[in-house]
Amino acid sequence: MRSAHLRRARSVGAMTLVSAFALTTLAACGTSSSGSDDDTGTNSSGSSDPTAPLDPKTKVTLTIDCMPSAAKTAELKEWKEDVKEFNKTYPNVTIDGRSTPGQCLEPPRFTAMLKAKSQPDIFYTYFTDLPQVLDNDGAEDITAYVHDESVPALKDIDPSVLNSLKHEDKLYGLPTSNYTMGLLINRKLFKQAGLDADAPPRTWADLRTAAKKISDLGDGIAGFGEYSAGNTGGWHFTAQMYSLGGDVVDASGKKAAFNNETGRQVVQNMHDMRWKDDSMGKTQLLQWGDLQKQIATDKLGMFLAAPDDIAYMVQQLGAEYANFGMGPIPGEKNTLAGGNSYMIKKGISADKIKAAIAWLNFKNLTVGKGQFDWARTKADKLPVGIPQPNFWLNESKTKDDAARVEHATMPVENFKTFMDNPVAGKAEPPKAQEIYKVLDTVMSSILTNKDADIDKLLDTAEKQVNQVLATQ
Amino acid sequence: MSAPGLSPTKAAPTRRISSRPAGSVPPRSSFAKNLRRNLTAHGFLIGALICFALFSWYPMIREFFLAFQKTDNGEVSWVGLDNLRTVVNDPVFWQAWKNTLLFTVLALVFGFLVPFVVALVINEFRHGKGYLRLLVYLPVMLPPVASVLLFKYLYDPGYGLLNELIGFFGLPEQQWLQDPDTSMLSVVVASTWMNMGGAALIYLAALQGIPGELYEAAELDGAGVLRKIWYVTIPQTRLILSLMLLMQIISTMQVFVEPFLLTGGAGPEGSTTTVVYLIYQYAFNFNNYGAAAALGLLLLVLLAGFSAAYVKLSRAENE
Amino acid sequence: MSTRTLISPAQLARPRGKLIYWISFAVVVGGFTLVFLGPLYWLVTSGFKSAQEVIQTPPTLVPGSFEADNYTRAWEVMDLAKLLFNTLYYAFGALAFQLIFDVAAAYSLSKLRPIFGKAILGMMLATLMIPATVLVVPQYLTVLDVPVVERNLLNTPWAIWLPSVTNAFNIFLLKRFFDSIPKELLDAASMDGASPMRTLRSIILPISRPILGVVSIFAIVGVWKDFLWPMLTLPDPAMQTLNVGIYSLSNGVPANVLIAALTIASIPTLLIFLIFQRNIMAGLTAGGLKG
Repeated sequence: MRSAHLRRARSVGAMTLVSAFALTTLAACGTSSSGSDDDTGTNSSGSSDPTAPLDPKTKVTLTIDCMPSAAKTAELKEWKEDVKEFNKTYPNVTIDGRSTPGQCLEPPRFTAMLKAKSQPDIFYTYFTDLPQVLDNDGAEDITAYVHDESVPALKDIDPSVLNSLKHEDKLYGLPTSNYTMGLLINRKLFKQAGLDADAPPRTWADLRTAAKKISDLGDGIAGFGEYSAGNTGGWHFTAQMYSLGGDVVDASGKKAAFNNETGRQVVQNMHDMRWKDDSMGKTQLLQWGDLQKQIATDKLGMFLAAPDDIAYMVQQLGAEYANFGMGPIPGEKNTLAGGNSYMIKKGISADKIKAAIAWLNFKNLTVGKGQFDWARTKADKLPVGIPQPNFWLNESKTKDDAARVEHATMPVENFKTFMDNPVAGKAEPPKAQEIYKVLDTVMSSILTNKDADIDKLLDTAEKQVNQVLATQ
Repeated sequence: MSAPGLSPTKAAPTRRISSRPAGSVPPRSSFAKNLRRNLTAHGFLIGALICFALFSWYPMIREFFLAFQKTDNGEVSWVGLDNLRTVVNDPVFWQAWKNTLLFTVLALVFGFLVPFVVALVINEFRHGKGYLRLLVYLPVMLPPVASVLLFKYLYDPGYGLLNELIGFFGLPEQQWLQDPDTSMLSVVVASTWMNMGGAALIYLAALQGIPGELYEAAELDGAGVLRKIWYVTIPQTRLILSLMLLMQIISTMQVFVEPFLLTGGAGPEGSTTTVVYLIYQYAFNFNNYGAAAALGLLLLVLLAGFSAAYVKLSRAENE
Repeated sequence: MSTRTLISPAQLARPRGKLIYWISFAVVVGGFTLVFLGPLYWLVTSGFKSAQEVIQTPPTLVPGSFEADNYTRAWEVMDLAKLLFNTLYYAFGALAFQLIFDVAAAYSLSKLRPIFGKAILGMMLATLMIPATVLVVPQYLTVLDVPVVERNLLNTPWAIWLPSVTNAFNIFLLKRFFDSIPKELLDAASMDGASPMRTLRSIILPISRPILGVVSIFAIVGVWKDFLWPMLTLPDPAMQTLNVGIYSLSNGVPANVLIAALTIASIPTLLIFLIFQRNIMAGLTAGGLKG
């Protein structure tokens, strides 16, 4: 009898053990909830007056993403130096940087991050991300915090750049860089092909001729390269439309605007270059990163890019910067403009916001300091003399441009054509990613299918884009 | 007194286990016995049950709600069939379904048939079996992203090794991933290379369990190799084959990383855009969870049909 | 073990049969080696090539340049030890959870047969047919805020471990195996008055070793192969899995360094595989899945 009781007790015990284990498992998760939610709703601590300066005694820790990764040795070193120097003024502000190898911002992860509200206190964004960030209520309105005292160079920042970070007159971020797209060339291949590397082609017809000459060098070298996957094909299609004075979405923002002569010209030109001239290489379905690898290894003559691609190629792909040159985007009517910024997580304390702005100001918005410390950039063997990022005006611009020239590590004349012929920047279309997805198909079709029906492709894409624009 | 639907013979040992200790204590009502038996049984179930409830069943219900909702500036509102309309009106909607069907067929032909044939071949040899087995299973152990990127290089029409190889045999150069006609096939081949090892070894084990006399008997009837496969090998491994088929269908439905990395997801002219990739696009590139959920719901309904059929079939088989 | 297979020994014994056997053997061994080792050969050697040579047309079979530096650079750039540790930590954690919860569940469903057992099994099996990507959005939202306990599992191993328990296929395999255990065995045990726990431990588990091996391999390979889910739920670079880490790296370094990184990333598991080859092969082939 006793043993029977024991046995029963054991069986019940075993069962409760299993269930207890299940429950504690769930309960244990509590110890590991994400680290940055301890600071929500603590606006009351410290001075809550947004215009008051940050009290240097305030002790805060700021998490920030897009710290340079280990692959970017020199930039990471500079980051650490900057943190050290920043801490001389604000010894109690801890900058807790996080880095990602590769691109700082990948759309899926970014979307997930916003949904999860797991962004760090200061988070990296593209200019085009603002609507998505606001949709998710992710960024703090920092209008009141950003003034001449907290950001002394404020008045010299190009208003069009700041406007990209505003919604209904409220400011949601501070820029770190901006770009306008131009034509990046490989000077070595230009010379080999008997072309003038100081005079990049200025029209699409000239570009086609040049591309043919370069690809005639053989050895798997392509004259001109374009993206056609991962939504970057649509992005560059848009740039090409802009370059010819065209548009992707009309002024009303409701209708596609590329199924016309300009659109056909863009598509026909790509198709002819790919199939008639065979000057665009065999490998297609490329996306961001692929063309950079090609041009860095002298397998590609030209592609549309922003100047900051050069820094990436030199630093991470081991390219020689003297090997590159830039001209304005062929056509020169308009060019795609964009940039990157940091935003501040909604709901963090006023002190943290102030500290964040102090850091961003120091690192990214001070002439002669942080990213604009060209003397150091040169010493660290990073490229100096690339025309962008450059969002300065007035006095700051004069000072900064002079410093760039003084410390230039590359022949600045390689960019003369680009600098001397500024093309008006134009922002990306609304619902950019969805439209790019549609236009990716156009690009991938003309670059992979010799018999692609251009009119049909544009018709279909137009219908699709109209649908995208119609659903709100 | 026992749980509904249990056949008495099968339920017998269970009852015995729990009734045995109870038999040695003063008699209890069968209700109490039953209750205790059930408590114990559910105690064993609870861990898995909680996990399923939280991470499978609840998300399924949530999917249903999401499909009819919309989130704007953090505010959730009901939008009826709007999301469904968005999805169905998407011009690539039908193409995605067509591609998914094609992918499933190809993946079944390759992912199911190739390892079986490989196992049959390996099983015939008296030498080097260990080496061949090792080779076949090797890719399974590579990090899949590494394998996929490897294939991206091999497939490249310019500097890729594959064109070089088929050129050696005098075959014309192919565009592989870049040709809408071959892109899906190329994805499936890469996926098969990466994943077939496990299936091949399982088949191999099953083949080794087939009694040799059966083949001898078939030979006496004058059967050739193909007839032996058809009348001996397949019936003898029927259970394992059906199990692996189920597994293959499941893993086919999960495939994401291969097309995502090989063709950027959409592929030339959208030829590798699957429904699953489209869902991913909606959710994580367009920030439209509603549309993603609506499309997911459509797929779910379709697959629910399949699984109902499967359950029915397997039940029929069991009886 | 009988070696009698499709082709009869008599056929093979004839001179012509022998010749065909050896020819086809050579073809198969050569072909398999090419198909399965060829890409790996390319991977290892391309890691030594210069960035130009990697994307050169036509490709070179033997590296024309030799840059061992690529491997050093790849090692520095990719924190392999951490990525590998993370991945194995998630994989073995998931295995532990599955072995405890799924074995218990399968045992209960097979032998204890609780009320609603069939319905529960049916609901579990129903999840088999749903692609992970379909549920990824609501599942992700669930992980952000787990109902009842109200926890955010993001950037914690729990985001991998707990959902891994919902492996209906493994439960199905286990249950099927348990079903096949003769009831006489269990009757004998219950005759001795063994509790269900003891029956499970001392009778069922010992004879279930083959199926446990199979289930374990599936559990580990499942985590090992997963990409989208860990990419979303473990966004913190310090928590990343090997797959996600390699993916992040793919745009950050030149092609030759990336290939070197792929090679390095492949080595540890290949080593593990070669060392435990016997066990893994035995696990998969011991007959756990027979009949």
